[in-house]
Amino acid sequence: MTTASVAAEPAATNAALEADGLSRRFGDVLAVDGVDLRIQPGAVFGLLGPDGAGKSTLIRMLATVLRPSAGDARVHGCSVTRQPGRVTPRIGYMSQRFALYPDLSVEENIEFFATLRGVPATGRRERMLALLRGMGLDDFLDRQAGRLSGGMKQKLFLAVTLMHAPDVLLLDEPTTGVDPVSRREFWRILAGLHRQGTTVLVATPYMDEAERCTDVAFLDGGRVRHRGSPAEIKALVPGVLFEVRASDPRAALAALRSLPGLLAVHLYGDVVRVLCESDAPHAVGVRLAEAGLDGQVRRTPVDMETAFAFLAELGRGGDSSGSATGGKAS
Amino acid sequence: MNALRRIRALIVKEVTHLGRDRRTLAVVLAMPLLQMILFAYAISFDVKNVSTVIIDTDHTPASAAYVDSYASSDFFTVVGTADSLADVDRIFDRNQARIAVVVPSGFGRTLADGGQAVVAVYLDGSEPTAARVGQAFTTALNQVYGQRVTIEWADTQGLDVTSAGQLEPRVRTWYNPDKSSSDFLIPGLIVVIIMVVAVQQTAVSLVREREQGTDEQLAISPLKGWELMIGKLAPWTLLAFAELVAITLVGRWLFDLPLRGSVGVLALGAALFVFCSLGLGLVISALAPTLESANMLGLLLSLLPGFILSGFAFPLSSIPEWLQVVSYLLPARFMVTISRAVFLKGAGFEQVWPELAALAAYAVIVIAVAVLLNARRRR
Repeated sequence: MTTASVAAEPAATNAALEADGLSRRFGDVLAVDGVDLRIQPGAVFGLLGPDGAGKSTLIRMLATVLRPSAGDARVHGCSVTRQPGRVTPRIGYMSQRFALYPDLSVEENIEFFATLRGVPATGRRERMLALLRGMGLDDFLDRQAGRLSGGMKQKLFLAVTLMHAPDVLLLDEPTTGVDPVSRREFWRILAGLHRQGTTVLVATPYMDEAERCTDVAFLDGGRVRHRGSPAEIKALVPGVLFEVRASDPRAALAALRSLPGLLAVHLYGDVVRVLCESDAPHAVGVRLAEAGLDGQVRRTPVDMETAFAFLAELGRGGDSSGSATGGKAS
Repeated sequence: MNALRRIRALIVKEVTHLGRDRRTLAVVLAMPLLQMILFAYAISFDVKNVSTVIIDTDHTPASAAYVDSYASSDFFTVVGTADSLADVDRIFDRNQARIAVVVPSGFGRTLADGGQAVVAVYLDGSEPTAARVGQAFTTALNQVYGQRVTIEWADTQGLDVTSAGQLEPRVRTWYNPDKSSSDFLIPGLIVVIIMVVAVQQTAVSLVREREQGTDEQLAISPLKGWELMIGKLAPWTLLAFAELVAITLVGRWLFDLPLRGSVGVLALGAALFVFCSLGLGLVISALAPTLESANMLGLLLSLLPGFILSGFAFPLSSIPEWLQVVSYLLPARFMVTISRAVFLKGAGFEQVWPELAALAAYAVIVIAVAVLLNARRRR
């Protein structure tokens, strides 16, 4: 496991969210395996990782709806296992699945959950209208929730979780299955919450969303494999990255596997991305020529998607590369 | 105060759900009435005018008089005569008659000699209820006829039978003097219908929260487990009660069902019974993994026992002993007893308090179990 800044972290009590050895077992499967986390107030913390990495399980434990098998977590100092009643008023939780009543209208859903959450009746309607206006939903008060578009549903769900003004938002893949325009809008709303000081923990499979986070953690097999700011994560990738555009990308991929000084190679659509130990674009060109292929070779900056793809491969690829990433902290 | 606000919000939500779901609403409101009318008309255990065929091989005035006693009875309709037993088989096969009475030759002579004459009565057993009743009727008729013959014979012998103090049995049916099956069925039917609706609807209600994922949102709100139960039960309690009143009224108007006992006791019993049924539904809700299984379990646990183990249609004394034990695990049998006692026997609190106590205990236990199961489920 790579932890970018464990030593630099301040005292536990100041953190908005903390997890200590948090684990959850489902039968034989260890869905979350001893996760330690410290998330500062006001952070937009991205929880990244493939399907089945344990993101939902982790979030559900933080939201107190799932009991950990081992370890504990605290929300602003309150334990999710021993003081769930003090945790829940401070959190807003959006489950991965749309969890509002499809047959109730936008207004009825908000009204119902706000009443349950104890939002004072005075000013409740104003708050609802302000939230809905900010999300462009103010024209749909009477629309049944089940008849909203995917993006609108997620915005409504967010509005419902925001009614009681939580300090910490736990969002489980809120933009999965949402069109790109709505995704961008959703993140614009999150940015607004970030400015107001809300702590956001957001799970996402989209790497472009990871770039918008102040901190990210990469979860795989129930463990945090890497964590840090997006810049720190990208800096973990060793060597130099080249993009190869060849007429036959598959042949180029096969040819480049035997490149001297190769760290990793991937095919992204029509583009082959090659991670080399040294900045030697001509060596790549030579290898292509040897294989009777031609193509353009260009140096390229590491983005989050590439970073995680390579880090995942390097992590699997044995200890030779593992030591390289391990030494590279912040 | 806050708890009340939350419960009220939950009740409003449940009522809104029901208002939006027209199909369920129609099923819940119309089905019980429809069921009742169908059942009350279709299931009839009344047996009258049993079609009868007569084989008189004696051909004497005595046998003619005997045969005549069938024809003049309300219970039998003599549809024809036959010559031999072989004909009876054919007649039964064609469903032309259910009873065959065979008067052997020598019948008149035996009687005249003061001997015991024997007649054979054949019953078509393929319809057991009719057969049983037919058997009872023929036995009774033969007893009465036999007595008359005895008296007549004594008369001719110059004996004074009246001074001998003959016993004449008089059988009377109390509470339901006409033995009308709708009087017998409807008080039980009310119970079964309420049970099916109540169990079924609550069985799906918590499962639906789980399937929609809204249970997690409820779990992270300050809503307590018992508040959730009350909020879920209250609307259905009211609805089940309204249905009970509606069915009772229809029963009175359409089927002249008597209501002889205390309405208050009936209402108390019904309230307890509704709580039991709803609690049962909530238990199913906590156990069932999916909406479909909750539906099936609800149906299985309400419909089958409702019909078989409540004593509504079949006397509980006639089911196997182990099933009788099982029947105590369901609230229906107690309520059927209360319902019949109040409607037909004019019972009050003193007569049915054991059943009321049983229902109250059942309600407390089943709702406690539901709350516990659901609390465990939340983790």
